[in-house]
Formats: sequence, C-alpha cells, structure tokens
Amino acid sequence: MSIITQNLVYFGIAILIIIILLIWAYTTKRLQQDFNTLTWTLIPVAIAINVVIGQIVVTLKLPVYLDSIGTVFVGVLCGPWAGAITGMLANIIWGSIIDPNAFPWFPVAFFIGLVAGFCAKGGLFKSWWKVMITGFLVALTAAAVSTPIAVGVYGGITASGSSFITAYLLQTGQNLLPAVLITNNLVEPFDKISTALLAFAIMQGLSTRFLARFPRPQNVEVQKGVNWVQIAIAVVIVIAVLAFYILVVVKLTSQ
Amino acid sequence: MHERLSFYIKRNSFLHQLNPLTKLTLTMSLVLISFVNSWYWTPHLLLLIMVIPLSYIGRVNEPFFRTFLRLILPAASFLFLMQAFFQPIGDSVIFKIWFLDITRESLMFAFRNAMRIVVMVCSFTLFLLTTHPSELMSDLTRRGLPGQFAYVIISTLQIIPQMQSKAQSIIAAQRSRGLDTESSLLRRIGSLVPLVGPLVFGSLVEVEERAIAIEARGFTSTHIKTSLHEIPDSNLDRVIRWILIFLVIASLALRIWLS
Repeated sequence: MSIITQNLVYFGIAILIIIILLIWAYTTKRLQQDFNTLTWTLIPVAIAINVVIGQIVVTLKLPVYLDSIGTVFVGVLCGPWAGAITGMLANIIWGSIIDPNAFPWFPVAFFIGLVAGFCAKGGLFKSWWKVMITGFLVALTAAAVSTPIAVGVYGGITASGSSFITAYLLQTGQNLLPAVLITNNLVEPFDKISTALLAFAIMQGLSTRFLARFPRPQNVEVQKGVNWVQIAIAVVIVIAVLAFYILVVVKLTSQ
Repeated sequence: MHERLSFYIKRNSFLHQLNPLTKLTLTMSLVLISFVNSWYWTPHLLLLIMVIPLSYIGRVNEPFFRTFLRLILPAASFLFLMQAFFQPIGDSVIFKIWFLDITRESLMFAFRNAMRIVVMVCSFTLFLLTTHPSELMSDLTRRGLPGQFAYVIISTLQIIPQMQSKAQSIIAAQRSRGLDTESSLLRRIGSLVPLVGPLVFGSLVEVEERAIAIEARGFTSTHIKTSLHEIPDSNLDRVIRWILIFLVIASLALRIWLS
C-alpha cells in the first residue's frame, strides 16, 4: 500500500514541477516567444489531430496509439512551451469529453510536447534518423513520467492492453514499480518513434510559405545527404542511454 | 453551425443553476477526497451519498446511469478483474485458477481502486452533464482566465466532430477505391498514410485563414471584454466552495496526521 501513497506524492510533485516550469517560462518571456495568433489557432487543430488519428489507428487495429502527433507537431513548429500546453490541454479536453480515463495522464502529454520542442530546437528534427532519436528521447521521458501515474492512480495496472505485460512481470515476482517501468519502456519507444516520424512526414508535405508563418520554421529545414559519422555517434549515444536506463531499472529491481 | 461535442443536457434544476466554478470545485474535491482519504470505505460512501443523489438533484439521473452502464462500468470491471487477479499481495488465498490466485487482500485492494476510478469518472460525467462548456469558459474568463485558453477549448470542441466526420468520409472514399484496411499488419500500416494525409493537410490549410479571421476581430487585444450574458454567482455558491475547500484540506491533513 505504501508504495502507492508514495507515488501519489510523486504525482503531486510532477504537477508542482509543471506549475513551476510554466511560471519560470512566463517570467523569463520564453513562454510568450512561442505564441502568435497562428499558434493559438493551430492548437485546437493539433488536439483534434491527436484525437482523430488516435481513433483511425484504433479502426486499423494497429498495435500503437499514435495519439500525440499533433502535440509533437506544435512542439516542433511553435516551440517547447506551446507543445507542452497543447499536450496538457489535449488530455484535459480528451478526458472531459471522450474518455475520462485520459485525464490523469496530462503530465505525460505535457512532457512529450516539451521534450519534442527542445529536441527540435537542438536541431534533432531535420532528417529521418535525427527524428528517430527525438522519438526515442520523448519515449524515455513519457515512460518515466507515466510510471508514477500508473502506479499512483491505477495501482500499476491500467485498463490498456499493455498492462498484461505488467501483470506477467508481477506474477514472476517483480516489484510493482520496476514492472510498470519495464512495461512502459517496452511499449513507448515503438509508439513515440512512429509518432515523430509521421509528424516529420506531414511537415515535409507542407509548403515552406505555410511553415514560415509559425514561430520556429528553422527547426524543420531538411538537411540533404547523410552524414555517417553523425549517425554512428548518435547510435553510440542511444545505446549508452539505453544501457544507463537498464542499469537504473536493475538497481530499482534489486531493492 | 455544427453541433458541439458535449454531454450537456438542458434541465431546470438546482445543480444547473449553480455557478460553473462551484460545480468544478465540487467535482475536484470529490476526486481528491476519494484518492487522499485513507479510510477504506470513503470512495464507496462518496458514490452512494454524494454522486448518485446529486444526479437525482440535477435531474440527469437517467442519462447519468446510461453513461454509467455503457462506459464506466465495463472499464471499471475490467480494471477490477485485472487488479484482483494480478496484484501479488496478501496470503489468504480464496481460490486459484491455473497460476492466478485471488487473495482476500487483493480483492479488497482491487475493489477500492476500481471504486476510486468510478468516483473520479462519475463525478466528471455529472459535471459535464450539468454544465455547458461555453458557460464554464465565459465564467472562467470573467475570473481572469486568458481568453486564448477559452478559445482553444471551445473551438477544439467544435473542430473534433467536424474532423471525425471528415475522417469517416476519407476512410469510406479510400475504401471504395480499394484501400486495404483489414488484412495483414503491414498492409494496414501502409494504408495509414493515404488516410492521415488528406485529413491533416486539409485541416492545416484552414488554420491560416482562421488566424487571419480572429486577428481581424481583436483576438490579441488586451482590453477587458464585456460579456453578453451574465452568469449568476450567489452567496450560496461562495459558501459551498469554501466548505468544499475546507473538506479537502481537512482530509489531506488527516492523511498526513495519521501516516
């Protein structure tokens, strides 16, 4: 029981961090930079894209969610804070009209938009393999943030299909927290990398004139040609991050 | 004008006449109390003595129970079964199927957890049934919520149904052209692009026009805007809100005190 209380406290801390981040961004004018009228009109469309593509994916019975394409899109084109706010509002609206179970996950959506925005700002949205790295980093963040929510609000087992993996891990004698963390790390990268790639494909199909009206069109200027040295370095870094992450999970498990 | 996507049902009741913020506070405090309070039966009692009677007071009991049976109950029972089977806590095994064992503790645990989710979802449903979204937004804007947020929420509620119907017609059109949406996994992944492409590009083109249209109507102006219809906020509303906030703080304090 106590681990659940602990995770509810983490949930509270996550909300507190979000509020502090927003206030910080507001006072340092970082938040305002991301917003012009076009951003405000893009956000509702992005939320609708999230919802509707999520439903198309369900119709096609694909084993992913793809319900944050719009969030990533806004994060990349308008900036991290706009992406974060889009994600948060998307979950609040989704929770209040379609499925109230979506409501507790709004911190996850917040960080998905934020991380996608920062990756794009660092130039990680300019060619397909960089986009895959963005997707991977977004997935790690999403897994880390959604774990305390899954444990705190739902007691570890949610109503989604991936909970069968968690349940299996629990039956093999795993502790609750590592079991949920491992499940999320198995499911998220696949989903988030395809999300990022789809968002990238959409941006490639839009005209430069249209993209230039958003606050950060320089984020998606395509680099021609493939630099193999960069790819090699990126692969090494990804493997290092993965190894570090697995190490942390193992450490948590052995407690 | 397209119909808005909302649960709202127009009735004349005490609950409908309350200020939207009061109802929001009520919903939030029901959720918080059921999650924070450590007494085992709190969520169950809240459902029985608060949520269900409130649905009768708001005269929305019939649609409320319909949503409950159709949406909430299946999800909650699934959650209950998953948790009862898979939570590896407790020793007093009640019965065993294959490698799964149901213990008394896991059953109790699953029941409370499912009940908390039910209380959360039910109180939100009740809130949405009795509050019109634009009423809530204009009340919150009056209290200082930036107009942009109100715009985002209200226009999302309009855009989602439009885009859903657009998606349906795109799916139908592509199917009639022979697009494969039902066979192997690879084929279905391949058919994602011809479905998503037209939908997304079509709706993104509208964004620019809409931006110009609202810009021309003083969207970014910082002057205080006047509202066409007033939303009542009585003394009773204020009293209810303070009582609810007090109850939430009390149960939080009780939780910290006892642990």
